Amino acid sequence: MKEDRLGKILTVGGAILTAVFCLAPIGVMVLTALAGRPDFLRPEVPLAWTVDHLRAVLTSEAIHFPEYLRNSLLVSAASAVVAVFLASLAAYALTRMSLPGRGALLLLILAVSMFPPVSLVGYLYRIMASIGWINTYPALILPYVAWTLPLSVWILVSYFTRIPRDLDRAGLIDGCSRLQILLKIIFPTAAPGIFATLLLAFIFAFNEFLFALMLTTDYSARTVPVGIALFQGLHGQTPWGEIMAAACLTILPVVLLALFFQRRIVQGLTRGAVKE
Amino acid sequence: MKKTSFHIDRETRAGIGFLAPLLLCLIGLILVPVAGTIATSVFRDVPYLPKTFIGAANYVSLLNDPAFWRSLMFTLLFVLVSVPLETVFGLGIALVLNQVFAGRGMLRAAVLIPWAVPAAVSGRIFELIYNYSYGAANRMLALLHMEPANWLGSASGAFLGVVAADAWKTTPFAAIILLAGLSAIPEDLYRQARVDRAGTFQRFFRITLPLLRPVLIVTLLFRTVDALRVFDILYVLTGGGPGGATTSLSLFGYRYFSAGDFGYASAATVILFGIAFLLSLVYLKLGGFSREIR
Repeated sequence: MKEDRLGKILTVGGAILTAVFCLAPIGVMVLTALAGRPDFLRPEVPLAWTVDHLRAVLTSEAIHFPEYLRNSLLVSAASAVVAVFLASLAAYALTRMSLPGRGALLLLILAVSMFPPVSLVGYLYRIMASIGWINTYPALILPYVAWTLPLSVWILVSYFTRIPRDLDRAGLIDGCSRLQILLKIIFPTAAPGIFATLLLAFIFAFNEFLFALMLTTDYSARTVPVGIALFQGLHGQTPWGEIMAAACLTILPVVLLALFFQRRIVQGLTRGAVKE
Repeated sequence: MKKTSFHIDRETRAGIGFLAPLLLCLIGLILVPVAGTIATSVFRDVPYLPKTFIGAANYVSLLNDPAFWRSLMFTLLFVLVSVPLETVFGLGIALVLNQVFAGRGMLRAAVLIPWAVPAAVSGRIFELIYNYSYGAANRMLALLHMEPANWLGSASGAFLGVVAADAWKTTPFAAIILLAGLSAIPEDLYRQARVDRAGTFQRFFRITLPLLRPVLIVTLLFRTVDALRVFDILYVLTGGGPGGATTSLSLFGYRYFSAGDFGYASAATVILFGIAFLLSLVYLKLGGFSREIR
């Protein structure tokens, strides 16, 4: 059929365009990190490969990249674990216990995530400054927990509603407390959902920029997106090779997570947004 | 069974206990700061001067500030251009990913990569791509025998540049959500439409689009709220320039916060917050979500 062939051409063409669109900037990043000079795309420039940029980023005392990466990993992991634990408590209550105004509460939680971060970062800065927390991990972890909670609750509610309530009843009859039921029955049953939510919360915290920019002052707490954004050369020339090497190393953890747990992440993202 | 008495039963009390940490976090770390910002917006609040109540004076100054109007216009134009663009591209990618072909799993993984990259990092990558003398964008123009463009140095070039960079980072999100919506449409409908000799385009406009409407509205809502508060990519890629041409309201507010003018910055972000709130209401109304959540 003529139409089927048209469909096939559209699909293959679209697939190629999609792949180029998604991967070309990544290619530019990787090539620049490994190329001797950033202007290697010019035909008259000879191509030379080097790992000097990667080595400089990992070892240079002036760049502080390993510290930024460590800060990012620690802050994001702590935020994700706390947020998902608090969110699972809330999601349990919202799906299993008789609460007045449950729907309104869910909407309210969603509404909170619609606030533009800039409308609270100034005031948050003052709070953190008044208690001397600027440039510390808690100054980032607390807002990140709050910021990832609405999303986490929404995703977990959609997972928890699918778990049969008979499991809870059995637990109650055996004399478990509600908390024990959550920890011993719901957590193992909803493990894939909990894991997906952890991944998403981690990635959101890892990628956050404005709070980290405002609430940190140097490498003892600054996260890697801010480190890369503020990365300037010493001599006026932008050190593209080193910036792109740092970019490669930065996106490595999140990209690996995204590739390995593709299905989980997509499921988590869409569970929060699409009603099935 | 509904209880009619005022007495709160044990179950409800336990439920409130489970919700308490979440509510405390949201109130203490989001609602209190937002309320504080709203309160600050009616004060003159600058370093070395006593904090004084000045009523709506900050808002009046904002309305007389051409830089504020420019950043408001930029923000709205950015939403108006980038959200439809990303949604249409996202729908295109979702339609492709919904087909069966070799390598589909790999392509789905590839689509997740831009989504997972921090916007600050993608900002730096695009800054390099737009480099006048050796960036990939101008090298491509050179291959097509076209003049190099001054991407970040001109107002229109910078606008196109940030829209394209933002589209790279956020189109995958739209595609992923829309793909989930597409795969929820029953295959039988399409089969029946083929029997009835409905063409590709008819099937798309008569079946796919109407059934995708709720998911489309959710995608548009998320993307609109996100685009309204655009900050990271601008801070990194253009710094709001050239000459303030790409300063979003978030960036405008941030500049005044970091300069220490808390009253003025607060008033600007309250206006941004108001716009986000109104647009969310419009979408919620369009989508009829109040009915869906039981």
